[in-house]
Amino acid sequence: MADSTTQPAAVKSDDGRPVVLVIDDSQDVHRLLRARLKQEEVELIPAMSGAEGIKLATKYMPAAILLDIDMPGMDGFEVLRTLKDDPATLHLPVIILSGQQSAQDKVTAFELGSVDYITKPFEFTELRVRLRSVLRTHRLMQLLSQRAQLDGLTGLWNRLFFDSRWADEVSRNQRHARPLSVALLDVDHFKSVNDTYGHPAGDAVLQGVAKVLQRECRQSDVACRYGGEEFVIVMPDTSAADGAKVCDRIRAALEEISWPRHPERKITASFGIAGASGASALTPAAWVEAADRNLYAAKKGGRNRVVSSDVTAQTNLRAAS
Amino acid sequence: MAADSSSSSPIKSEFASDPDMADLVAEFVGELGSRTQSLQEALSQSKFADLQRLSHQLKGACGGYGFPSLGEAAAKLEASLKKNASEPQAAALDDISRQVNELVDLCRRATT
Repeated sequence: MADSTTQPAAVKSDDGRPVVLVIDDSQDVHRLLRARLKQEEVELIPAMSGAEGIKLATKYMPAAILLDIDMPGMDGFEVLRTLKDDPATLHLPVIILSGQQSAQDKVTAFELGSVDYITKPFEFTELRVRLRSVLRTHRLMQLLSQRAQLDGLTGLWNRLFFDSRWADEVSRNQRHARPLSVALLDVDHFKSVNDTYGHPAGDAVLQGVAKVLQRECRQSDVACRYGGEEFVIVMPDTSAADGAKVCDRIRAALEEISWPRHPERKITASFGIAGASGASALTPAAWVEAADRNLYAAKKGGRNRVVSSDVTAQTNLRAAS
Repeated sequence: MAADSSSSSPIKSEFASDPDMADLVAEFVGELGSRTQSLQEALSQSKFADLQRLSHQLKGACGGYGFPSLGEAAAKLEASLKKNASEPQAAALDDISRQVNELVDLCRRATT
């Protein structure tokens, strides 16, 4: 379930209640469910057809989907197949609603990946407890999958999360030509901190850097631990120049810190940024390579600095010179 | 089983005393007249696909609003229509007309 190809789904509505998508061609069913689930802490989103349901599932990433089988046009099984074929919606829990009592339909529903099956007309108490159980499992799955994507030492997102999130951001940049930047941060002379003050001091530095990142990054930035003493920041809607400003703020804040374990020794970091103001043809890996080259240049240039470049016009073959 | 069609006693919703449902059931019963009219129109115009869709919707709705006998009648009608696809033979047509009338009669008796 720790689906490495998607970020943790947005399963809460604005007021914090889990979103439950109901896909049924009957207005009566929507009305009934609204009345019957009024007391539950859920927000119901109605879809009147399979096609609309799939669209809304992708949009809301609901915590559960109640899906009718017998619908004109695209039937429930087809909707289920479509949802399970798309990596973005594959993990959404689907409860089948059906007037059919046939064992074969139930078998088909479970084989296609539904998590539960309720027959109509509903026994509403049963519906409520089944829905609750599905929501509970889903919430735990989400927690687990989030845990698997967090770095244990720093509490930042880990490399696994970065890889999937970064791929998403790059494809968004290509589709919508929105600005995008990625920054690599490497702690300067980290090995000598470890060697001089011991590994606990090194760990404290990494945790301190993470704290600065969390404080200085903007809401939309995604800071991850890339590995060792390297960090990576995904900066959506940010050009290379703007990304450089953010990183310089982080750089300055880091330099200011006084470290209890070694007050005499400041910690600095070097930054390499690759950014685009419009659509870039670079692959996710080529972006990171471009940022890495800038990081190398920052190190070579004397460390404690930010080097950025615009990769909007670059191609994968000659990603940078 | 649908109640015997000669009876004219009112059929009460199973949820009649459920405060959560009272308004909804009333609304549903209020709409039943226009729904049965649509059924009869579809039958008289031989629009069997429409008839099947309407009976399908009624099947789910009647059960949900606490009228299982109506739901069963609608389910039987839908099943007959499905079996006979688009152009029912004369014998099947009689059967379907009878089932429509039964369903309409049951719907008339539905009350909060």
